[in-house]
Amino acid sequence: MKSDKTTDKELQIQLASNAALASLINLTILPIIGFIALIWIYRKTQAGTIARYHAVLGFKINIVAAAVLFLVSALMILFGGFNSPWTWVYVITYFTLVHTLFIVLAVWALVRAWSGDTLLNSNSS
Amino acid sequence: MKYQSQSIAKLYFIAAIGLFVGQILFGVILGLQYVMGDFLFPEIPFNVARMVHTNLLIVWLLFGFMGSAYYLVPEEAERELYAPWLAKLMFWIFLVAGALTILGYLLVPYATLAEITMNDLLPTMGREFLEQPTITKIGIVIVALSFLFNIGMTILSGRKTVINLVMLTGMTGLAVFFLFSFYNPDNLVLDKYFWWFVVHLWVEGVWELIMASILAYVLIKITGVDREVIEKWLYIIIAMALITGLIGTGHHFFWIGTPGYWQWLGSVFSALEPIPFFMMTLFAFNVVNKRRRDHPNKAATLWALGTAVMAFLGAGVWGFLHTLAPVNYYTHGTQITAAHGHMAFYGAYVMVVLTMISYSMPIMRGQKAGNDRAQIVEMWSFWLMTVSMVFITLFLTGAGILQVYLQRYSEDPMTFMVTQDKIEVFYWMREVAGLVFLAGLGAYITSFFVKGEEVKIA
Repeated sequence: MKSDKTTDKELQIQLASNAALASLINLTILPIIGFIALIWIYRKTQAGTIARYHAVLGFKINIVAAAVLFLVSALMILFGGFNSPWTWVYVITYFTLVHTLFIVLAVWALVRAWSGDTLLNSNSS
Repeated sequence: MKYQSQSIAKLYFIAAIGLFVGQILFGVILGLQYVMGDFLFPEIPFNVARMVHTNLLIVWLLFGFMGSAYYLVPEEAERELYAPWLAKLMFWIFLVAGALTILGYLLVPYATLAEITMNDLLPTMGREFLEQPTITKIGIVIVALSFLFNIGMTILSGRKTVINLVMLTGMTGLAVFFLFSFYNPDNLVLDKYFWWFVVHLWVEGVWELIMASILAYVLIKITGVDREVIEKWLYIIIAMALITGLIGTGHHFFWIGTPGYWQWLGSVFSALEPIPFFMMTLFAFNVVNKRRRDHPNKAATLWALGTAVMAFLGAGVWGFLHTLAPVNYYTHGTQITAAHGHMAFYGAYVMVVLTMISYSMPIMRGQKAGNDRAQIVEMWSFWLMTVSMVFITLFLTGAGILQVYLQRYSEDPMTFMVTQDKIEVFYWMREVAGLVFLAGLGAYITSFFVKGEEVKIA
């Protein structure tokens, strides 16, 4: 029979994994819906837990990604001009590469959540 | 090294690296010919250099795959290779046939090569990537069948694991689909249709199986993660690769005269093709994160992780970028395709072969891993080649977007050659990145000769 401590740890890892997955989904196939799911998961987490850590990390990754992707792209279009081919050279290349880098970061966050670790340090005790 | 016959892989790997050098040298020549059209003309015309560049890639990857199979199959099957002599014989036949073919491309006009190799008896020459004389193609089939017989008998009479069965399935698919290169119908639509059965079903079908099995094998060895965990991932990855990749062939049938339903089938299924590559990234990250041991071969771990990430970028993301029919209407045959091709081949297949070489070569040389200094040089080569390939891809993507806009999208479209002049700056930058890649390859080769304190097998 599992102890309460073990069960709680498993629950936290499960919540952390769900948060990291929601973050990844928001970055890939279901933007906005993934973010709503992340908010919903965040509300179920408690301060100081690995689940809260990954929910907050998910917010950070997605908010920074949105800012870096949409804001910078918008500025490129604003200053480069909508009808300039060079604008689209920069916007498409930049958006594709940077978006992918955020996805790879979110994948790493997900595998860390699966093992109950933070992004950089092992925290499975 | 558990079995003596595994050492045959060394021959194949050395040949693969040698041909890789040739491929990159011709790549650099080609890059310069894009901006200096008469460079090395008439000695090495652009069309010949391109043929050599792409054919060398295919041949050295085949050497790499076969070497990988000869290394991992005996260990997985827990027995010596069924016929080591046959593997050695086929190595020399393949090497000599490959070298003669390349020399043929370089030394005689292509039409003359067709004539002296009696192409008219069974015409198969003249198609992109399948330019090899018919007699060379027959040689490839003989080598492939002998290879399949050899590893097949080894596996059938030994332990059957998911890894060696996936490898065998991939290699069988490789041999079977190559047979379509002998079918050369007069109807141009049918010709292109079946041509893709070789080209697409190799690189976006059965080669993914070979790649996944090599990656899984190396990850088991360097991480110590349970075989059962890795095998479950492998099942899902190859299932997704086949489900998406087979009908995904349709993205090549959009504009070649085939029925319109291919635009739907090709778009939907090939939009799903990033999934297996995405799963490979997840898989590699997951097993490295859960590793039970710190293997001394840090370079091999780096190559394995790099393969997963770069394959996702090159094959997955850059493939998706132009795979939907409404987008592909504008982008097909532009530098965007070249950008995707470069990063996908490097990320998926070049890197997985280098991963296997990185893991197995020190063991075949009597060490568990290369010495620290050698590994540092090898890791430098990893970063030089990988970063420069990212830049090659970005520059070609930029060139492709500008090309599409100027040549196909604008209200006053430019001609092909005028557009090429406009995108010249990207070709120059690509050439510089190509030279950095060549330097990285130089560092890679140097890493085999760097002396230091050896890490002995425990």
